[in-house]
Amino acid sequence: DALLPAPQSISILSTNMKHFLTWSPVIVQGETVRYSVEFQGEYEREYANGSWIPISECSLTTATICNLTEDISASVAYKLRVRAELGATRSQWGTTKGFFNRAMTSLTPPQLRAVADGHHLLVELADMGPSFQFRVLYWRKGQETRVQQKVLREVSSVVHLDTMEAGAEYCVKAQTHVQAINRSSSFSPTQCVRAQGDKSMWLV
Amino acid sequence: GACRVSMSMTEIRAGFTAIKANIQSRDPIRTLSILSHPHSLHKVKSSDRCCITYQLFTFYVDKVFKHCRTEDSFVNRKISSIANSFLSTRRKLGQCHEQNNCMCGEESTEKLKQILANYEGLNVTSAAMKSLGELDILLDWMEKSR
Repeated sequence: DALLPAPQSISILSTNMKHFLTWSPVIVQGETVRYSVEFQGEYEREYANGSWIPISECSLTTATICNLTEDISASVAYKLRVRAELGATRSQWGTTKGFFNRAMTSLTPPQLRAVADGHHLLVELADMGPSFQFRVLYWRKGQETRVQQKVLREVSSVVHLDTMEAGAEYCVKAQTHVQAINRSSSFSPTQCVRAQGDKSMWLV
Repeated sequence: GACRVSMSMTEIRAGFTAIKANIQSRDPIRTLSILSHPHSLHKVKSSDRCCITYQLFTFYVDKVFKHCRTEDSFVNRKISSIANSFLSTRRKLGQCHEQNNCMCGEESTEKLKQILANYEGLNVTSAAMKSLGELDILLDWMEKSR
């Protein structure tokens, strides 16, 4: 086994509660090297003799990336390892340095679009998965001290925020919150829209 | 004082639902229950709820999950997910225990003795698989008594 080097540059990329293991390819001229990935949670380390659990979707894969999201589903410290395989030859395991906890994921501001639909202030939010809630702040421009808030636990594509006064400008911004790790993203850039002017005609 | 712990019930429930049929099919003795014999968890007094929850999480972490390894990789991954979620939640419950917000009354102590007796009455693999198969009983009780 020593002929096949262990994968190097093993790291975890985690954004918005989606977690991926990546590593550098092991190059063997004229050959297709495959890889297998296993994970170990705190439970396995402390209660199951340090056992490792294979991820079947990343067993004998030629890719150098593996989606861990389904398996890293508890807020404990995980370790990951990957090895190279070529026929019957297997490399040593390459293991992540330190531990990974999903609380370390980086949270990006939500993508939102403020919409003025006549006198109605609407907001469109991109769905980010079941772990995410949204905190939407909105206010009439110039009345920054009277900010209103709406917390959305489930995202339907368009959300009605308020009825606007004719011709007035309203602003919106939002952040995500992940209850499982009790963290929030930073706010999205503020977007402002103007309500439709009043069309009613007064006959004198 | 009250013991308020945030936990990912949805994630645990989803993980269990994905393997429930598989696990329960490995339990031939359907007439016996570990968690509900002789009395249902629903009979537990509200003052004892925190203690029972903490002790049951300890029961699952210390005794059950480690004996549930199967030949099925998908099932093993879901069991790992549930076990690590239980470990994380038990740690939070433990903090309540230390702050004396999770007192164990006579009734809960008796109930736990009964559960352990039911468990020890079977061989360890059968007992572990049955206990895992009864996880929805625990989750239902926890959700109802929130």
